[in-house]
Amino acid sequence: MSERIVDYLVIGNSAAGVTAAEQIRANDAQGSVLIVGREPYAVYGRPLISYLIAGKTTRERLGWKDSGFYDRIGIECLVGPDAEVVSLDPEAHTATLADGSVVTYGKCLLATGSIPFTPPIKGLDGRENVHTFFTLDDAEGVWEDARRARQEADAEGRSARAVVIGSGMIGLKAAEAIAGYVDEVCVFELADRILPAALDAQGSELLQRLLDRHGIMCRPGLSVQEACGDGRRATSVILTNGERTPCDFIVAAVGARPNSKLAVDAGAQQGRGLVCGPDLQTSLPDVYAAGDLVQVTDVLTGDERPLALWPNAVEQGACAGRYMAGAPDAEPFDGAFAVNAVDFFETSLLTAGVINPPEGAGYETLARQERDSYVKFVMKDGRLCGYILLNRPDNAGVYTALIKDKTELSAFPEEAFLDMPLENLDFSRDDRWKRLHAFYPSCLDDRGWKETR
Amino acid sequence: MKRIYALERWCIDCRRCEVACRAFHSKSCDAVRAYRVEGDDPKNRIWVEGARTVSLALNCRHCADPACVQGCISGAMQKSQATGVVTVDPQRCVGCRTCASLCPFGAVRIEEVTGREIAIKCDLCGERLGEAGEPHCVAVCPNRALVYVESEGGSHE
Repeated sequence: MSERIVDYLVIGNSAAGVTAAEQIRANDAQGSVLIVGREPYAVYGRPLISYLIAGKTTRERLGWKDSGFYDRIGIECLVGPDAEVVSLDPEAHTATLADGSVVTYGKCLLATGSIPFTPPIKGLDGRENVHTFFTLDDAEGVWEDARRARQEADAEGRSARAVVIGSGMIGLKAAEAIAGYVDEVCVFELADRILPAALDAQGSELLQRLLDRHGIMCRPGLSVQEACGDGRRATSVILTNGERTPCDFIVAAVGARPNSKLAVDAGAQQGRGLVCGPDLQTSLPDVYAAGDLVQVTDVLTGDERPLALWPNAVEQGACAGRYMAGAPDAEPFDGAFAVNAVDFFETSLLTAGVINPPEGAGYETLARQERDSYVKFVMKDGRLCGYILLNRPDNAGVYTALIKDKTELSAFPEEAFLDMPLENLDFSRDDRWKRLHAFYPSCLDDRGWKETR
Repeated sequence: MKRIYALERWCIDCRRCEVACRAFHSKSCDAVRAYRVEGDDPKNRIWVEGARTVSLALNCRHCADPACVQGCISGAMQKSQATGVVTVDPQRCVGCRTCASLCPFGAVRIEEVTGREIAIKCDLCGERLGEAGEPHCVAVCPNRALVYVESEGGSHE
């Protein structure tokens, strides 16, 4: 049983935790920083796991930081099952790890992300060919089963089939990755359309058609009622409509929930995620939180919910790290909105903000579908508050900036939305100058000439 | 750090910056070969918004706190602490478009290079990632509509 004393303890070795540690170090050169993580790896790009299986990246390129990162910035990192924090005592400022050792901290950050949530489905538990799709280890398991399915199907002269339960981002990215190995991927979704949180009905319908061309068969309105099979492996599923579908393996990607048990058990206030102040401190003294487990105010709707997106985790990690280290330039975290970028085969899908506005709440929409592309803009009070860009990705970030900056839209031509991507030239001359000339030398005028006076 | 600024009052929509950029970022470093021999692989990282009464060359602003870097899921997009230059490592990029969905200027594009879709953006013509060189777009601009000058802040130095 070892005892450690550190100034900063960061629980969670992914986007939020690592970014926080970097900011702590940038603002406190002396304080000791310890990162602990359950997975036995240096920080890696978690959303890359589908790209790994699809052959679009390699194991060596998964690292989110270079190999010398932890040493270079002088932070200690303990990873693996033994390093998982099992309990937190905010009064005593201590955390107990799975190996029984105790860490005494000055300030602590919870950056433990989210964990998969699977509702109870008969016959699903304890099967060796049923996987979630969150971690690198999950991905290795899926990959192995995908290759095995291919081999067995070829040997038996039948087609290989995988079942994915849930059609959110994780389920569909898993389906895309697996589609390179099996003949058919069946995606079941309880809601009446795929990707229900990030698309509207028309967009879902189109995406479903585009996925179908690649052997991904989506069945919205249907879910798995029971997984069947004699041994440790599931060999078929029974659907909610009574149909039976044989399968080689299953990916369960129904949903996620904040991995906030440590803090909640220690008495932290929890809503739909951990409730934090603008400095990202939880209701427990000296316990901060950042990433998927934090309840965030949606700046567009006022809703309070976790925002489980990588860029959000990085932004919150940076914010929490600065406050923890007492940085004078720390700026409060006052909410965010969702921006999703995802690609499936040759299809690109970018969505942001409000995409399914409630009726009668004063929202206006512009939408157009042409062949394989679908564009939708949602406006309120003369300002953009959401978009769907399905297979028309150009200048998406310019639209994101309009949402973020709450830019008045009246000055923009209407064609700059449905017909053409919005360009910098669509902004007024003054606004354009301000946007594109940050840090412009004060000795030069807009002709690029030095002032002669 | 030195930054490239576009001065739209001098821009004549000639797109020589695009040609010079694409040529420099080709294998041959030759404009004719880049366009005629190397196929679609060489890519320019500056784009002229034009065909109107005004035109404007657009490339990466190398922001103080770049949204593309913050959003990058692979760690490919980085801002050098030493130089302030924002570059993308083509080997690590998976083309997920998060950067493109976050860049306020449309200065990162996802394009296909040797069969892989990856982020394409201005690297200030540096020899290595995170290093600045002498930008070719500025050198070829016939009307000084692109300048490469010492900026005032926003580079972590």
